[in-house]
Amino acid sequence: MTSSLPPKRALAPVTLEIWWSRLAAFADEAATTLLRTAFSTIIRESNDYTVVIMNRAGETVAECRAGIPAFAALMTPLTRELLRRYPADTWREGDRVITNDPWIGIGHLPDLAMVAPVFHRGELVGFTGTAAHLPDIGGAPSMGRTELIAEGLLVPPMRLYRGGALNEEVRSLLMANVRLQEQVWGDIQAQVAANETCRRRLLEFLDDIGADDLEELGSAIHEVTDAALRRSIAELPDGAYTSTVEADGVPGRPTTIQCRVTIAGDRIEVDYTGTSPQVPYAINCTLPYTRAYTMNPLKLLLGAGARGNHGSYRALTVTAPEGSILNPRFPAPVLARHLTGHLLSSAVYQALAPVLPERVIADSGGAPAFRVQFAGTGRDGAPFRLVLFASAGMGASAHADGLSTTAFPTNSGGGSIEALEAASPLLFTRKEYRADSGGAGTHRGGLGQLISVRNTTGRPWQAALLGDREHHPPRGLLGGSPALGTAAAVDGEPVSSVKSVVQLAPDATVDLLFAGGAGFGPPDQRDPDAVATDVALGYLTPEAAERDYPGHAPERNTQ
Amino acid sequence: MRSGRTARIGVDVGGTFTDLVLHDESRQITRTGKLLTTPDDPGRGILAGIERLLRESGAGWDDVGVIVHGTTLITNTVLERTGAEIGLITTDGFRDVLEMGGEIRFDTENLFARPATVLVPRDRRLGVPGRLLADGTEHLALDEEALLGAARTLLEDHRVEALAVAFLHSYRNPAHERRAKEVITAAHPEALVTLSCEVAPEIREYERMSTACVNAYVQPRVHAYLDRLEDSLRAAGFAGRLYIMLSGGGLTTVEEAKEFPVKLLESGPAAGAIAAAHIARAIGEDRVISFDVGGTTAKMSVVENGAPALAHRFEAGRLEKFKPGSGLPLRLTVVDMIEIGAGGGSIAGLDDLGLLKVGPRSAGSVPGPVAYGLGGALPTVTDADLVTGRLDPDHFLGGEMNLVGDDVRAALRAHVAGPLGIGVAEAAVGVQSIAADSMAAATRMHLAEKGADPSAYTLVAFGGAGPVHAYALARLLKIGRIVVPMGAGVMSALGFLVAAPTVTDVRGYPTELADADWAHVSRLFAEMEERARALLAGADEFGDKVVVSRSADMRYVGQGYEIEVPLPDAAFGPGAAEAIRDRFLAAYDATFGRTISGGRPEVISWRMSAALPGSHIDLAYRPASGDPVRGTRRVHFEGHGELETTVYDRYALPAGTVIEGPAVIEERETSCGFGPDARITVDARHNLVVELT
Repeated sequence: MTSSLPPKRALAPVTLEIWWSRLAAFADEAATTLLRTAFSTIIRESNDYTVVIMNRAGETVAECRAGIPAFAALMTPLTRELLRRYPADTWREGDRVITNDPWIGIGHLPDLAMVAPVFHRGELVGFTGTAAHLPDIGGAPSMGRTELIAEGLLVPPMRLYRGGALNEEVRSLLMANVRLQEQVWGDIQAQVAANETCRRRLLEFLDDIGADDLEELGSAIHEVTDAALRRSIAELPDGAYTSTVEADGVPGRPTTIQCRVTIAGDRIEVDYTGTSPQVPYAINCTLPYTRAYTMNPLKLLLGAGARGNHGSYRALTVTAPEGSILNPRFPAPVLARHLTGHLLSSAVYQALAPVLPERVIADSGGAPAFRVQFAGTGRDGAPFRLVLFASAGMGASAHADGLSTTAFPTNSGGGSIEALEAASPLLFTRKEYRADSGGAGTHRGGLGQLISVRNTTGRPWQAALLGDREHHPPRGLLGGSPALGTAAAVDGEPVSSVKSVVQLAPDATVDLLFAGGAGFGPPDQRDPDAVATDVALGYLTPEAAERDYPGHAPERNTQ
Repeated sequence: MRSGRTARIGVDVGGTFTDLVLHDESRQITRTGKLLTTPDDPGRGILAGIERLLRESGAGWDDVGVIVHGTTLITNTVLERTGAEIGLITTDGFRDVLEMGGEIRFDTENLFARPATVLVPRDRRLGVPGRLLADGTEHLALDEEALLGAARTLLEDHRVEALAVAFLHSYRNPAHERRAKEVITAAHPEALVTLSCEVAPEIREYERMSTACVNAYVQPRVHAYLDRLEDSLRAAGFAGRLYIMLSGGGLTTVEEAKEFPVKLLESGPAAGAIAAAHIARAIGEDRVISFDVGGTTAKMSVVENGAPALAHRFEAGRLEKFKPGSGLPLRLTVVDMIEIGAGGGSIAGLDDLGLLKVGPRSAGSVPGPVAYGLGGALPTVTDADLVTGRLDPDHFLGGEMNLVGDDVRAALRAHVAGPLGIGVAEAAVGVQSIAADSMAAATRMHLAEKGADPSAYTLVAFGGAGPVHAYALARLLKIGRIVVPMGAGVMSALGFLVAAPTVTDVRGYPTELADADWAHVSRLFAEMEERARALLAGADEFGDKVVVSRSADMRYVGQGYEIEVPLPDAAFGPGAAEAIRDRFLAAYDATFGRTISGGRPEVISWRMSAALPGSHIDLAYRPASGDPVRGTRRVHFEGHGELETTVYDRYALPAGTVIEGPAVIEERETSCGFGPDARITVDARHNLVVELT
């Protein structure tokens, strides 16, 4: 190979900008290909996907901006592990290696990663990588699983394609273990198409710019990004900052996250020593996922989100003790790993709030997200099953009130009530802001929502609830108050747990109460006009206003 | 047709410029004009522009039969939040849907990004009891007392200027909304009431509610604006008919525009695509990318088989950086285009990483680029174009505006070249390259969504800055052919002359194809057609031959997004399901490269478009006599460096002329440059047809 590592900033800044933006656009274009050609709706609805372009060491040089940003951070460790198992000189044009191993991949079995090599002028110059949430990966259809094997088919790294030829044996093994074969294969083909889009664009690009490989440009991108990140970190006060986040976990086993963020010069280390041990339930979170969901809130705080690449992770280290819920040993069950992983943004922001109050937000009600699946038999006798997507409130910040009903740290959004009613016999009788759910503070937390549902068939039905934050509501920062936590009720009676399957009588009404975001800063510093406006608009009841903001004089603005 | 009034005038009021074109078939005259928009009173600029055109073509108001108008007024009203105070009446328990929106963060890179402010604050959103189910049956009767109470609160206590009414499932059964309007207008006859079932009868409550609210929000302003414009045209002596451009590229009456102003939102951009489609038909190109660049944005859209691609959803008033999700979603037929903040006025500068960025901030028309000498101090794309030789300081706007050179260099030096440690010329080339690259990336992305590759298309470039950047864009996209139509700088206005009165309509009736009630489907289409024919009956300048086409938004059961499938012309009988399934499979395969065996097709919405024939216009340019060569100057071409380049006067180039690049060809409102790999032919209609090798 011809190119060697160039001196710093060998590329003219204008050239760097143009080439870099073009690379980034390829990943975005390929993500469009993935979304467009995927059959199942899960990728679109849940945003669970990523597309990256990597250099020959497996380090990302471009990451798609759509999808779940945290996912892109998983691709470099994954590809490095693939390179350990399949050394660089064993890859051939047209290979496609897949895996869903949660310990090297995306953290649970439904998320399949696919990595393909890119050859230019006969040499391996890099890789393209995609990950997407498949509609089915086999396994038992309930949340009661206590071991990984019950959660579905584990696919260790293997070549689905070798030299461009499909490995039929791998395919038939996969297909024999899933229910929705057509959809699963359709979505895997969408990943193939996205990898191919990246590869084709990358080759055109290398020809256009007359480069042999990505090394010079890749290093420049990494250096500029790394340097910018380190500059941001260097401005932060050195020290070790800690937090403890407690969550419901599983019955009898609440989760405790012990987080220690160490800022030393231009580096940040996050360590989770002291965190709860792993549990025989699906909420364990493997180390790659732990890393991704720690790095992403850090990147947001450092203002380094714009064009993700390996350079944005080099200054960050994340460790968690083996055997903990954040680094469980194989074969711990991991299907609902988000119930633990989503807590990490809260842990990081709580730790840093005292020194970086301007950069963080208080706990969000959607960390972790609350999902409810309804099932039953429709009027025509056919079964129905649907997931309600709806959001809790975001935490408040030093700058503003938290956003109401907005997904964080995911970005899955909310579904249409009309669409849900058209696809099922359910009748939603309200979907509105949950008054008083945002934690009080100088800035108030965003409001959660209240959704009420009935069934119109006259038959029994059921609701499977999967949430947290019931007994450990989102916590405020710097004097801000906690939010109202997650709750659910049947005919006005609270359910036993927001992690349960509830059997429902035909005429039952289910109330789902999504948590609010927590408050920021002492409530007595809140602008009385803002309190009055909240009361006037019904975001806050007069009783709660009197309790949380005594003496705010709400009558001023209410007439 | 009224005798004598043979002239048609198109007027496109953009954010920076007002473009005009006059065409008189009987006298074989086409004149174009361009002047700075007068934002405080757009009508002033319109009248001045028209009177100048009339003067130049030796005509008077008596000769004008039709004026077709499009405006960014509505876009700007939404963007700048200068609309009316409105109220929303909705189903009890769902008044927060409008504010909750999609419940996503449009910018996942910024923890503190905030969504667009809701158009209607909570105290002006009132729920009333009454409920329809997804199949359209009534679950709970509309509470008319509560409705009247809500209307009274909004109109009398809050003094709102307009109301939107949006009930759940009104796309399926409009009865409650229609009744609500009767009840409200009986008690408040002067109230402006928008019904969601009339403006966007499609499933998904947030988008439908949002569309109804935007309509109500802009309605009072549009009423006032159109009334005032019509009055001043009449006062000046205009006795013909005024038509308004729709977002989907059709024309409508002033009355209809006042009823559904939201449908005008994208009229300016649509006109450009309609013009590009006209050119595509005239030159026989099946696959065209329409490339329209003005002062603020670049807009790319696809024209296939002579018609622009349409979309039925759109987002208005995006807050920043044109980021999807940062605006207000609308269910609305628009020309399907991608728009980015890279136009002639886009400002160049360095970001936090020290990298050069261009746009999306624009200097607009005031103060404009530094080169305009109107007080602009930040370097823009137009300024870079001047430095690299793409624009001639002495011939901008046909010489009416002299561009200022020294200040431009100083601005580029201060904001770009100096901080980067490079020369001014290099900085200017960098600004152009980055602008072209972002246009290329956006075009690739737009075509990727359709599964298409730009290199198979012909680029039709227009707008004040489109031709200026066409060569660079074509090279980036590996496009082999560029067409720069005559009058490229004011092409959008030409689109106003070739567009036809059109009515598009839709009905939400979600049903699995196999279970469809065809009698109901037939009723829906009959209802849409009847309304369309009534509306079109008045437009006798365009003839009476109504062409109706029908389509459906379809998907497989279980999917979340639909594709539009053209429906057969035949009546909907028992055999319809099979014929529609075949068309769905063909469309699905064309879009996604496969079909799903065992999948069950379903229809979500049923669409109809009814149009009168458009006008075919052959622009009648007579080349000026004299030497087409203006001289030579040094021009920088990407990939070729700076070359001594011949400069031509476009108006003096006779049909049949062949020019080898490098060449710069200037016209009144724009200019284009092509490198040494280009061969330029002037075709019979005076289009520049450029082949790149």
